[in-house]
Amino acid sequence: MTYTLRLGTLSLQLARRNLLVGLGLMLLVLTGGLAALHMGSFPVGAADLWTALRGDMEDITRMILLDHRLPRVLVAVGAGAAFGLSGAIFQSMLRNPMASPDVIGFNAGASCGAVLAILLFGSVRFVLPWALAGGLLTAALVLVLAWDRRRGTGLDPYRLILVGIGASLTLGATSDLLMSMTDEQRAADMAQWLTGTLNARNLTDAALIWGGLLLLTPVLLWLQFPLSRLTMNDDIVQGFGLRLAGLRLVITCIGVLLAALAVSVAGPLPFVAFVAGPVARRLLGTGAPVLAAAALVGALVTLGADTAARLVPVVQLPAGVFTAVIGAPVLMWLLVAQFRKGAL
Amino acid sequence: MSAQPRLAARDLSVRFAHNTVLDQLSVDLPDGAVTAIVGPNACGKSTLLRSLARLQKTGTGQVILDGQCIASQNSKSVARRLAILSQSPVAPEGLTIRDLVLRGRTPHQSAWRQHSVEDAAAVAAALTATGLDGMEHRSLDTLSGGQRQRAWIAMALAQDTQLLLLDEPTTFLDLPHQIELLELVRRLNHQTERTVAMVLHDINLAARYCDHIIALRGGHVHSQGSPKDVITETMMQEVFALPCTIIADPNHATPHVIPT
Repeated sequence: MTYTLRLGTLSLQLARRNLLVGLGLMLLVLTGGLAALHMGSFPVGAADLWTALRGDMEDITRMILLDHRLPRVLVAVGAGAAFGLSGAIFQSMLRNPMASPDVIGFNAGASCGAVLAILLFGSVRFVLPWALAGGLLTAALVLVLAWDRRRGTGLDPYRLILVGIGASLTLGATSDLLMSMTDEQRAADMAQWLTGTLNARNLTDAALIWGGLLLLTPVLLWLQFPLSRLTMNDDIVQGFGLRLAGLRLVITCIGVLLAALAVSVAGPLPFVAFVAGPVARRLLGTGAPVLAAAALVGALVTLGADTAARLVPVVQLPAGVFTAVIGAPVLMWLLVAQFRKGAL
Repeated sequence: MSAQPRLAARDLSVRFAHNTVLDQLSVDLPDGAVTAIVGPNACGKSTLLRSLARLQKTGTGQVILDGQCIASQNSKSVARRLAILSQSPVAPEGLTIRDLVLRGRTPHQSAWRQHSVEDAAAVAAALTATGLDGMEHRSLDTLSGGQRQRAWIAMALAQDTQLLLLDEPTTFLDLPHQIELLELVRRLNHQTERTVAMVLHDINLAARYCDHIIALRGGHVHSQGSPKDVITETMMQEVFALPCTIIADPNHATPHVIPT
């Protein structure tokens, strides 16, 4: 069942299945968010949130809700969505499920920047700009090295993945090296940051990630159209009159920006960017616009991981420990379901 | 030569590293005709076709589309006049025929205009022309080779261009499916006066289904013209190094190559 919307020169097509999947995921993120506000060592009823926002609430509950849990939930959803989008963008554009920013070095670049900031300034205060700069710089380097000058098609997908994996390994080793050169306290800060954590996030972090997502929304709405064409081979894309080199450059910039934003507020949470696209694609019909669904899956995985990390008693675990624990089985379950159906 | 055709190459050269693939070559694709590009492997057939569709970076010389150098024209505007179906095209797994054909509308669409009334009409027309009516919800992976090739042709047709270039459309098809596909091309050409150019390996089929033959050898045009003028024992010897006798096809009177 497919609906076609036409309004003047505007026209769009929506399949019912994709619409339902989108709404279902949205509902899950919403209930997940409310549940995360409710759960924790200090129990707060989800209904209390409204009272707290209005201001009629005792100070302690208000503080826990608005200063601790709400920013954390907002950052988890925002960063998860940005990771999911970034992964789905690279995977579609490069036609390869391996090509997510946590594999091709962009997350490693941001991490290395963050580690350097902790080493230089002794605290996690200046991590944000340094992580952002590290991610963007790495992306620029990988792009220059992988750019194909000869054929005029711009980025070569295979080269980008190979160069990116090389960059990822080099930067990971550099981070380890930096960590071994410093005192225990800083090394512990670094280790925590490198796993990806949402501990002690405030509303400034939430504003940063949500502001970024909001600004990029029109771009993302446009992006779906060229991106779905880029899943076909170069000759077809160029035959359709799309400018391959320019498109690839613009799309890479968008993907890197999203990944860098997410890493700078949540650390290099592993696996979120990698898993969101494939999971979304398996929930939706083939050829469907995958970005919105990937964002929601990313948000769900991150929110789930962070809430799980929060609920472990005594120790403050980083969310990054749980993203892979939650994400990997989901992906495997979907893959096995497809093997069973003989679809793969 | 009469008036300038819509699509032509002038003194076109293409080099890969130190290897010259096309060497100052000039060809015309007669308007409203079906042209076959033939020649031995690695003679530059595909490179010529891809160059004519501005998919290939070229050296000196130029491709002229509608009186202007194709490289200087807006690529989307070119795509509304010229469609090319490349060799072994790739689609995402599980894509349905309908979605594939709809993608052929890309040059007429934008992010804000993804399914206009014209798009729907062009897709329906392309499905009918290729005999894929009623199969549009099937996934591409479930089709036979012949059906899949028809689906790709339907995508190129939905692009709704007067010029259609096909790179080896019959490769990997058995003889009945090759005939079916070439009949389809012929019918399209008759009904809509589309100009078609395709790379073909089978000289006898080229002679039977095409109005114009371009024979390439080593990046040069050996000869171009009607099948009767081009397909000769001398050409077969010089281009393919194949000694043969040419007889008239008893059914269609077109030249028929019998290797000796």
